Amino acid sequence: MSQAAAPIGAGVAPQQVKKRGAPDTLVRVTKYTITRTVSLFVTVVIGVYLTILIANMGGHVDNIRRSQIREAIGAASMTPEIRRMPVEERNAWIAALIQVEEERLGLDQPFIIRSFRFLGNALTLNLGRSEYVISDTGSRFVRNIVLERLPATLVLMATSNLLLFFVSVFFALYLSRNYGSVLDKMIIALSPTSAAPAWFYGLFLILIFAGLLGVLPFGGMVKAPPPDDKLSYALSLLRHMILPVSAWIMSGIFSSIYGWRTFFLIFSSEDYVEMAKAKGLSSREIERRYILRPTLPNIITSFMLMMIRLWAGAIILETVFNWPGLGKLFYQAIGQYDTPVIVGNAVIYAYLLAITVFLLDFLYALVDPRVKVGS
Amino acid sequence: MLQNKKLAILALVALVAVVVLAACTTPEAQIVEKVVTQVVEKEVVVTQIVEVEGETQIVEKEVVVTQVVEVEATPPPVERQGAWLDTVVVVEEPSADAAVTRLDVGELDFYFFQVSNAVVAQKIANSPALGQYRSFGSYSELSFNPTGPIFAGTGKLNPFAVPEAREAMHWLMDREYIAQEIYGGMAAARWTPFNNASGDYAALADVVRPLEAKYAYNKDKATEAITSVMEDLGATLVAGKWQYDGAPVEIILLIRTEDERRGIGDYVGNQLEDIGFTVVRDYKTAAEASPIWMSGDPNDGQYHVYTGGWVTTAVPRDLGSNFAYFYTDMGRPDPMWQNYVNDPEFYDLAERLDNNDFATVEERRELMARALELAMADNVRMFLVDRASVSPRRAEVVGAADLYGGMAGSWLWPMTLRREGQVGGSVRIAMPSILTEPWNPIAGSNWIYDMALIRATGEMAYVPDPYTGLYYPRRLERNEVVIQEGLPVGKTLDWVELSFAPEITVPEDAWVDWNAAEQRFLTVGEVYTETQTALRKNTVHYPADLFDTVKWHDGSPLSIGDFVMGMILTFDRAKEESPIFDASAVASLRSFMSAFKGVRIVSEDPLVIETYSDLYYLDAEWNISNWWPYYNQGQGSWHALTLGIMADAAGEAVFSSAKEKALEVDRISYIAGATVGILKAKLDEAVATGYLPYEATLGQYITPEEAAARYANLTEWFRKRGHLWIGTGPWYLERAFPVEGTVILQRNADYPDSAYRWLGFSEPMLSDIDIDGPDRVTIGSEAAYDLYLTFKGEPYLMDDILNVKYLLFDATGELAYVGEATAVEDGLWQATLTADVTGKLAAGSNRLEVVAVSKRVAVPSFDSITFVTSQ
Repeated sequence: MSQAAAPIGAGVAPQQVKKRGAPDTLVRVTKYTITRTVSLFVTVVIGVYLTILIANMGGHVDNIRRSQIREAIGAASMTPEIRRMPVEERNAWIAALIQVEEERLGLDQPFIIRSFRFLGNALTLNLGRSEYVISDTGSRFVRNIVLERLPATLVLMATSNLLLFFVSVFFALYLSRNYGSVLDKMIIALSPTSAAPAWFYGLFLILIFAGLLGVLPFGGMVKAPPPDDKLSYALSLLRHMILPVSAWIMSGIFSSIYGWRTFFLIFSSEDYVEMAKAKGLSSREIERRYILRPTLPNIITSFMLMMIRLWAGAIILETVFNWPGLGKLFYQAIGQYDTPVIVGNAVIYAYLLAITVFLLDFLYALVDPRVKVGS
Repeated sequence: MLQNKKLAILALVALVAVVVLAACTTPEAQIVEKVVTQVVEKEVVVTQIVEVEGETQIVEKEVVVTQVVEVEATPPPVERQGAWLDTVVVVEEPSADAAVTRLDVGELDFYFFQVSNAVVAQKIANSPALGQYRSFGSYSELSFNPTGPIFAGTGKLNPFAVPEAREAMHWLMDREYIAQEIYGGMAAARWTPFNNASGDYAALADVVRPLEAKYAYNKDKATEAITSVMEDLGATLVAGKWQYDGAPVEIILLIRTEDERRGIGDYVGNQLEDIGFTVVRDYKTAAEASPIWMSGDPNDGQYHVYTGGWVTTAVPRDLGSNFAYFYTDMGRPDPMWQNYVNDPEFYDLAERLDNNDFATVEERRELMARALELAMADNVRMFLVDRASVSPRRAEVVGAADLYGGMAGSWLWPMTLRREGQVGGSVRIAMPSILTEPWNPIAGSNWIYDMALIRATGEMAYVPDPYTGLYYPRRLERNEVVIQEGLPVGKTLDWVELSFAPEITVPEDAWVDWNAAEQRFLTVGEVYTETQTALRKNTVHYPADLFDTVKWHDGSPLSIGDFVMGMILTFDRAKEESPIFDASAVASLRSFMSAFKGVRIVSEDPLVIETYSDLYYLDAEWNISNWWPYYNQGQGSWHALTLGIMADAAGEAVFSSAKEKALEVDRISYIAGATVGILKAKLDEAVATGYLPYEATLGQYITPEEAAARYANLTEWFRKRGHLWIGTGPWYLERAFPVEGTVILQRNADYPDSAYRWLGFSEPMLSDIDIDGPDRVTIGSEAAYDLYLTFKGEPYLMDDILNVKYLLFDATGELAYVGEATAVEDGLWQATLTADVTGKLAAGSNRLEVVAVSKRVAVPSFDSITFVTSQ
């Protein structure tokens, strides 16, 4: 066993390191923080601007919008009052309406100028107003639209993902202890089932539990009409979560357990674990101190990335279960080329990702003494 | 550690228990009233085999005996005002397939969506638990690019620049194949610019049917005609492929991908390839295709044919404008239309029909007949099928669905939706989307599904017949229509009084415009120095008890202030001096003012209003300017609208989406969201100050006492329900749950109309025709055919039939004669082929086709019989 790979407290003498003064550390951390912040910010800027370009198809969406406006307003000109106008007057009437709508959508300005304005607003988290998508309560402010859908997504995705994550980790630990058991083999055999997405399982679950057995609802967040008291509301919410959460877990559980189990198994076969076993430590003690501890950075990374993924929701799953979350909203926004909503979602995700990556660097240093910020 | 573990297990068990408990929560029990079956003694006539005393002969004899039988109890007649149901729960269900499954298991009662997918429609038809209402509305066509024959942009050949090539496409397309195979039977073949379910199609059926026969599928004829065109253009057929300038003649098909038009595009491509063209299939979604066909320059040659689709949302009463709209540059200002070049005669006819430039119905008919012929030959737009769709429901749940809009587009569903044999109770309906945009009557949501609910909470002064499109009075007592002599206006229903006058003069004291700065109406005398005339005047008479019987949902009686507010808002938002000026309202006012000549309140109570306008419709029933307080997007009371006006003027929230962008504020919603709070603050302010908008004018009609009472009523309404949406309709909005996607409507117990009032419209009276007559006719002899017209097995009333025509097609398939059948009695008509008519027929097989046009439904009925003529 190499000394460099030995964890602190594993009964191995720590590597001799040269001690440095506190000012030195402060300079190193400050320098790292600034460099990392700038690089992450540049990444965010590039990512958001690319999103703006892609969401607008490099400006082609303007042509689509102009055509759609013409179509819609031209169709409105079929009313008898408009039809009886002389052709020139009618066309002028249509042109005036088209102009109002184009101005409303900002199409009176070149895309390239607007793209930088989008970028500036996005980076300052001025998410602006949507073009078509409207919040359920009638607002066009992207902030309101997103905030309105966020709780629904968080409650569904957080429940699903947290359950999936912790069940997977703990079950994987159990399997790593019982390597080669029937249960272990069964999990390995079932892990390819995770190739199917959650919505695929959702369809079957709806068919069985809502369609055939009629014991659970087809979709939605609560029953209609929604209960007035909070307890009944919560119970109804739980009842409506059973199928989508189950679908999410069914889709991910086997491959997730398999992945973590394999990961733990690798660490379980390290020499220092064998040494601990030889010393007669309990399996619980070995698991906690010699397996979980060195794998903590990976677990934390996985957990943090999972947490920010909650933001995106699950587009198709939410659509299948008619769940009023961010995923469904995003789907709607893409279908309508609603750039502010798409960019709004993307910029928040980008910032969350950047902050997470930034924090993870420090968290690694906290949980793993081998890691030093900026070294 | 152990303790922690136990706690964790305990928490887990508790969580599972909660989830299981939640799963076991059963839906609320629903009380279902049933028509019970009774066991009663009843005298019945039975045939018995009896042995006659004293004789050995056994005979059958009818005797009356008393038996115990089961009969369905007739429910006692019930007194019911307003809607049949007590509650409607509306939920969102975007998937038609899922909705049908939910209907099947009884979780839903009605799906307010027009399902046109053949597989889903079959699923509905196969389920005994489900019913459906069939409707029309959308239709598919081929739009030809008429520029060329050489595209300026590509230098390539465009055969469809030649009208004869476009006309030949009629023969190349098998419309029946498209309807039956591509649409799976959920469509009907269509040849003309008239929807199959329309008054004009029915009225001109004797013109349309021969055209349909002339342009029936005939691939050989198509090949012959197109070959002629191609050769004239200088193309040559080399190894079965058309070549021009040494290169294959390419036809670019712009094919829409979202629906069956993909199949249509492929079919068109196959047919064109079969006759020698090289086809490029350009598959595009609506958004991708729009910049090419709608706003792109046709001269660029990016497409030859586009698979177009259109939708009609209400039963059309006048399709005369379709010629100008679909075939000429008068249709739209878009590049494709501006490239249409027509035969001068056709253009003139289209223009005259678009401008109603004819004196009589008969003249219009002649113009339409000729225009139809020329449209088929011009064929820049080739109609293929009328798509059918169904609104699925539970079998026991019924209501009046619109022939075009289905249930969601029906104006009568709120008054007719019910469970058969049941009064009261609730139903659960689903819609693909719900609460899509903010609700405000001025410029709020215009989504069809939002409007379905908005219509339930409000009402217009008249009701469109869901099957003919004609208007019936709801709150009106009568309507006097005066039309300038020489204009082709007719009437069908008795409630309208139609007369003609040589000249209609607009009185000087009629209001014709609005001074927003001074907040007063301008009269004709102030605005014009010369005497004003109008083409139409109509006078609506409201009943004497209108203001006593009709109440807003908050309990406030309807008043003349509601009408005057509507008149003011017709103008005010489009006036720059107004505090609520909205640039997007200017165009609407401009179009309104192009015909409007004046309005005058003749009597305040009973309310009588006369309106002068140059806009007139061919149906007298449609000439109703009634000023009822129903706005573009719903009904509005003056006091609820006042709150919106205050918010809009303050720039805190605005009525329209165009203005919300400019001011960076939200659009007003009376039902949910932050703007409800703004409106409530305005209500408190109005209560405190007694604020009355447009006081200079409204102050003459609204007393301070009425204003105070109304604000108090609305405050109480808000306290109970948390929103400010009120109407006078048969339903009121109990609550809206925007995030959860649920709306609760409750029956308005104060609604003045009987629940029975509109039940006669629950089903379209489509007649069945049965022809009875000789199958062999001697040439030169008279032959008479009995035509039995029935509805559900009962004779169709003579008074409900507009006309019954018969078309005689000879052995060559040519139209030989058109006649009008004569009425014998209810349900029986007779078509007589005189000796003169049969004398002109050759020996062979002939076809007699009968077309019955009903006054009760815009869909004509057809039947035919074949007979043989011999010497």
